Amino acid sequence: MTKIITVEGLKKSYGKVQAVNGIDFYVEKGTLFAFLGPNGAGKSTTVDMISTQIKPDAGRVLVDGYELGREDGAIRAEIGIVFQDSVLDALLTVRENLLLRGSLYGMEKDALRDAVASAAFAADVTGFWNRPYGKLSGGQRRRADIARALVNTPQILFLDEPTTGLDPQTRRKIWNTVHMLQKERGMTIFLTTHYMEEAAQADYITIMDHGSILAKGTPAELKENYTRDMLRITPKKDEKLSALLGKEEIAFQKSGGDFIIQLRHTADAIGIIDKCREEIAGLEVRRGTMDDVFLNITGAKVRN
Amino acid sequence: MWAMTKRNLKVFFRDRSAVFFSLLAVFIIIALYAVFLGDTITGGMEGVKGIDFLMNSWIIAGILAVISMTSTLGAFGIMVEDRAKKIMKDFTVSPIGRGSLAGGYIFCAFVVGVIMSLLALVAGEIFIVASGGEVLSMENMLKVIGGIFLSVLSSSSIVLFIVSFFKSQNAFGTASTVIGTLIGFLTGVYIPIGSLPEAVQGIIRAFPVSYSASFFRTVMTEQPASVSFAGAPESALREFDTALGVKFEFGGEMTTLAACIAVMAITAAIFYALSIWNLSRKKK
Repeated sequence: MTKIITVEGLKKSYGKVQAVNGIDFYVEKGTLFAFLGPNGAGKSTTVDMISTQIKPDAGRVLVDGYELGREDGAIRAEIGIVFQDSVLDALLTVRENLLLRGSLYGMEKDALRDAVASAAFAADVTGFWNRPYGKLSGGQRRRADIARALVNTPQILFLDEPTTGLDPQTRRKIWNTVHMLQKERGMTIFLTTHYMEEAAQADYITIMDHGSILAKGTPAELKENYTRDMLRITPKKDEKLSALLGKEEIAFQKSGGDFIIQLRHTADAIGIIDKCREEIAGLEVRRGTMDDVFLNITGAKVRN
Repeated sequence: MWAMTKRNLKVFFRDRSAVFFSLLAVFIIIALYAVFLGDTITGGMEGVKGIDFLMNSWIIAGILAVISMTSTLGAFGIMVEDRAKKIMKDFTVSPIGRGSLAGGYIFCAFVVGVIMSLLALVAGEIFIVASGGEVLSMENMLKVIGGIFLSVLSSSSIVLFIVSFFKSQNAFGTASTVIGTLIGFLTGVYIPIGSLPEAVQGIIRAFPVSYSASFFRTVMTEQPASVSFAGAPESALREFDTALGVKFEFGGEMTTLAACIAVMAITAAIFYALSIWNLSRKKK
């Protein structure tokens, strides 16, 4: 696997506030990389630095072999960014927007028209691309934003909280587009989000808070390392189950009348259930979720 | 830079209300002139031959000076809006250079200023001819058009310098209202300079755009004045020129076209330099 983005010792502070506190990570080519953290964790600052928007205080960043600070022009040509806020011109049509923004990349007229058509097709905006951007629905706007980010056929696509404020159906549609870009075009996707479910779809997750990286890994690794599976039993008779578990030396907690048992492996549940078969009115075996991962890593719920 | 200029022009002309408001000061002048200013100024001179031609030319000249400022101000509004709405981010992530980005806004403002001024000139000439005047001679027409380029260059430099301080649309909106209102006074269009107290006359003389107005007035009133002041003593014309701000008097000497050109060129140089300094200072 080749590393398309490498970040070493990246730092940025605003006055006395350390926004990004010397972080290291890398992104493999063609993967969907998620940068997870609550608002104010330093995600956007990091993305702004990698995308040549703001100057880091210290650190070294390589984007597709180009060094940040020295070859910013080359980096800009390689990346596409979908910003949190709308950045297209409301009074111009989607097509005009795409053509005008595309012309900033110094393409010839024919190449530009092809690039715009291809971006519009990929983001599925051709159905409404002759309408003014300002008159579109939230979901259509987002798709137009994606088309804008694709107009220079980037190697890396940055998505900054792309589905915030969208309804579930639109959200799914945006995700289909993102997956399609990754699978069919081999694009590297760099996603920042504070939605756990979204991060769970990534190939690799980096969790950040207070300007530092707290954990890295695939969703499965993170769940494996930072969560325990859990068995929840609703007893027929409280005391009897309690006594039974005590005899077997199985640690448990009570919560709302249920018994909660932390498992080392999911399969351990089978033995326990077998032993208590007679006393079980109802049961649930729950695997760890990204929420648990986050909770266990940061010791706090996701701030919103 | 052309790509940015094209985008800015499209955004500006697509926004009808922005175009309208950039011309608001001009509409106010026309309305005031039609309602009472025209009569006030020409009061007591009814008998003079060709007085309407003379005064119409005078007011159109004033409008040309005002429009060079208000229209470029409207065009620079795009820059403030892009900054406030963070649209600017989308340009700074593309490979376009910072210089070309700024150049795109400046060039757009320049083009908007020239287009609006030329439109005002055409409309003004039609108005003058329709109310019994003559069209500008070829030589004077070329002078006016040349003056438009210079005056837009000079006014846009002042506007850019002012705009370079603004980050929010509110501040910009307030500033454009204030400028749009004051500009008519500062160039002596609402009230001729001769009717104002000495101190205010000093302000008008110190305001660079007044020299754009002086340039246009000198060229545009030349033909009508030669009719109205035919046979009158030299001092009568001189008195008219000073009273209406066609020329400014400094220690008994009257300003010339060359002086106006020099003021416009120097203003442009100074204010563009200041703007570039102010904009680059902020980046750090």
